[in-house]
Amino acid sequence: MDIATYLNTMRDPAGLPFYPIIFQFLLVLTFALHIVMVNLVVGSTFVAIWEIWKKNKYGLRLSKALGRVLTVSLSIAIVLGVAPLLFVQVIYDPFWYTATTMSAFWALMFLVVITLAFYAAYGFYLGNKKADLTSVKTGWAWVSAGFLMCTALIIHMLSMEQLVPEHWKDWIVSPSGIVSYAGGEFHAIELGRLLHFIIPSFAVTGVFLMLYAAYFHGREDYDEEYLDYVGQKGAWLAFWASALAIGAGFWWLGLVPAEFHFARNPFFLAGAILGFITTAFIGASISKPRQRALPAAGLMFLTIFTMSCAREALRMKHMSLSGYSIYNYPVNPDWPSTILFFATFVMGLFVLYFPAIAAYQAGKVKAGEVATIDPAIGKKAVTAMIAWFVIVAGLGIVVSLKNGVLF
Amino acid sequence: MYPFWEVPFFTSGLVIALIATFHILPCHLATGAFWFNVYVERKAYKQNRPELLEFIKKFSLLILIFCFVIGSLSGVGIWYAATVASPRGISGLIHNYVWGWATEWVFFIIEIAAIYVYYYTIGKIDPKSHLMLGWLYAWAAWISMVIITGILAFMLSAGKWVETGGFFDGFFNETYWPQLFTRTAFMFGIAGVYAAIVASTIKNKKVKDEIIRTAGLWGVVGMLAGVVFAAWYLYKLPPHAKELWLDESLPYLSHLINIAALAYAIVFVWFVICCIVKPKLAGPVSGVIILLVLFMGIGAGEGFREGIRRPYIIDQYMYGNQIVARDIPAKHIKAEIPKFDKEGFLTHLFFKPDKIDPENSRDLLLAGNVIVHHQCGNCHALDRFGKLRPLPELLENLSPESPEDIEGLLESLGDYPYMPPFAGNDLDRKAASEYLFSIVRR
Ligand code: HEC
Repeated sequence: MDIATYLNTMRDPAGLPFYPIIFQFLLVLTFALHIVMVNLVVGSTFVAIWEIWKKNKYGLRLSKALGRVLTVSLSIAIVLGVAPLLFVQVIYDPFWYTATTMSAFWALMFLVVITLAFYAAYGFYLGNKKADLTSVKTGWAWVSAGFLMCTALIIHMLSMEQLVPEHWKDWIVSPSGIVSYAGGEFHAIELGRLLHFIIPSFAVTGVFLMLYAAYFHGREDYDEEYLDYVGQKGAWLAFWASALAIGAGFWWLGLVPAEFHFARNPFFLAGAILGFITTAFIGASISKPRQRALPAAGLMFLTIFTMSCAREALRMKHMSLSGYSIYNYPVNPDWPSTILFFATFVMGLFVLYFPAIAAYQAGKVKAGEVATIDPAIGKKAVTAMIAWFVIVAGLGIVVSLKNGVLF
Repeated sequence: MYPFWEVPFFTSGLVIALIATFHILPCHLATGAFWFNVYVERKAYKQNRPELLEFIKKFSLLILIFCFVIGSLSGVGIWYAATVASPRGISGLIHNYVWGWATEWVFFIIEIAAIYVYYYTIGKIDPKSHLMLGWLYAWAAWISMVIITGILAFMLSAGKWVETGGFFDGFFNETYWPQLFTRTAFMFGIAGVYAAIVASTIKNKKVKDEIIRTAGLWGVVGMLAGVVFAAWYLYKLPPHAKELWLDESLPYLSHLINIAALAYAIVFVWFVICCIVKPKLAGPVSGVIILLVLFMGIGAGEGFREGIRRPYIIDQYMYGNQIVARDIPAKHIKAEIPKFDKEGFLTHLFFKPDKIDPENSRDLLLAGNVIVHHQCGNCHALDRFGKLRPLPELLENLSPESPEDIEGLLESLGDYPYMPPFAGNDLDRKAASEYLFSIVRR
């Protein structure tokens, strides 16, 4: 049996419940959202450590603030990560499942390590919550940073293994015919690619600091000088990290097999051009980070999204070498459940407006004061949830009665 | 078949069981606790009793740090563990229920937004809106249970799906509603235990006793309702599952049920005595003991649910060793056993020794090793000291005299109500028997 036959027969016998391109789009979109949050987690951990180490009073204040950001953004990153994890298994199942079973031990370690990183982040945040500025400690932040790097390495390895199916068999079947069931494979690290993830973390964190300065501007209990410090630090960081990320990007490009002609891929080209524009724009914003924060964030996300598309294009090139394409995956369209998802998704955006606006307004009033939110917003959000349940439960009762399974 | 992952001694199945049991506590708490939270918060505003808010703060932080973090990570953990233990099983679920999971994901996002904003805006936004955030979380979390229960129930009883292949036909199957109601009732029980433990650390004695009593009441009501729904659930089990349990084909199933029932009774008595009658007794120590009891009870209950599914991992559709058991015409799915019987199992494997000479005994053993791992390894440990039904021991009980005796066993394997038939041609069976015979001690 050759690898192409293996890959194509391992596709799930049920086929896809909808067209592959839709899953691919959702995969790229949710991956981009996820990776932005992950970048923020990684970047803010290191920035927090750096600022404490420098021991200036604004830096210490910033570090404390980042401690809270860390825990929240790590949770969000994890939840956002569930979606690409799901969609990758739908269209790339032969790759994903082979890699994770060959490296099962590492796949499970991934979770252990991320849990430890999480609690270390909480240790950093809660441990310093009550501390005054002179006694802020970095120990837990270091621990968290270390575990985060391990997580990055493992997930990088799992993605890389998927790209080289031609090596799989050599890894787990020995020349004398003994098959390994240990699940301990660890292969295919590519430093250029890994760096192209780690360096942008600082760019994303830099932009986040610009947004931070813009958001808290005008709040009485935040002094102007502190916010200027944060904003300028952010713009500076974002600029240099973006510039370095471009360098790492070209390094990675150099590692891509030449026969792909990837430098001419439209997604790659668009991503690279956007990268240059973003870097130049941020470079020109160093003196006024607050005013430029929003457009910088928009550009940054657009670049990351385009680069995620390029990453997907690269994956398709790799996989086509082994005769695999998602576009000929058999499809058995299931319209009712597809509608269920998209309708829920739209409702979700509507509902999320409520916590978003509540958080936004609560952060705008100074400590000790209470923000008032239009009561209609919350009511509508909760009503939408109840309506969702009533509709689905109603549907469920009808289906159950029709199929005679209720009593 | 995907590469097989073997966990020495422990077996991958038990790894899932452990993570799954560990997941149930935080996740039922994450779904249930906020109903209690908003109830207390509402009371605090209505009766103008700010002292109750101290509890809200403590309880929310616990929910956030323990349930939400551990709950979401161990949830992903079950998924990963299931993936590495049974990749084709999880693939089968995902390819039929991807939109279900994606829908659930939307509610996860709402949950996380609501819980963080709720926690960080205590005292910072107007009470009405804050309470609404609590409601939002409570609904989102419970709806995530409404969804996942459909997929869990599908694994136990696939319902009309086997005929129609329809998402909702499989989702709203015969065990869906009883399971949803049972889980919802337990959820209040578990929330009651945690609430009592957290409340026992409050300084104000009056508030403390009041909240513990309320928590006890919630627990008692939840658990009483749970008994009724659980009975309905057991009654609605598919006939095949009931047989395995009631005919004592697998005696350990009744043991599991008994353990679960005993744990249940202990927790119930604890609620009555230590929460309602004498709230003094509900301290962190007795609370943690009760948590352990709960942990055991849940483990037994979920073990039962897994056990009665034999020989399938997905009811009627896929066997525990990840081989497709029947045609699903609506999805163009074909049963795999006839194919493997005709064309051979080994020929359809990719990860195997390159050349196998049927006359060479070493080759035969190597081939048998691969076949047995794939066909038996999901349910049996292959090393003698393995924890899960170790095959060497089970085979020794049958005292086979030769590989041919084992071939006979393999031919009739499908006659056991809890095992799939052996899949493969004569060569596969011969290789598997040679290997199995080699691990038996004589
Ligand atoms: C779907 C899960 C599953 C698979 C796959 C499976 N078994 Fe079993 N097997 C069981 C269960 C459950 C028992 C009952 C053990 C007990 O009584 O506790 C069992 C019992 C046995 C016994 C003892 C039978 C007796 O009662 O005397 C033997 C022998 C056995 N299995 C061999 C095999 C072999 C060989 C394979 C692979 C070809 C295999 N099993 C595959 C679930 C499975």
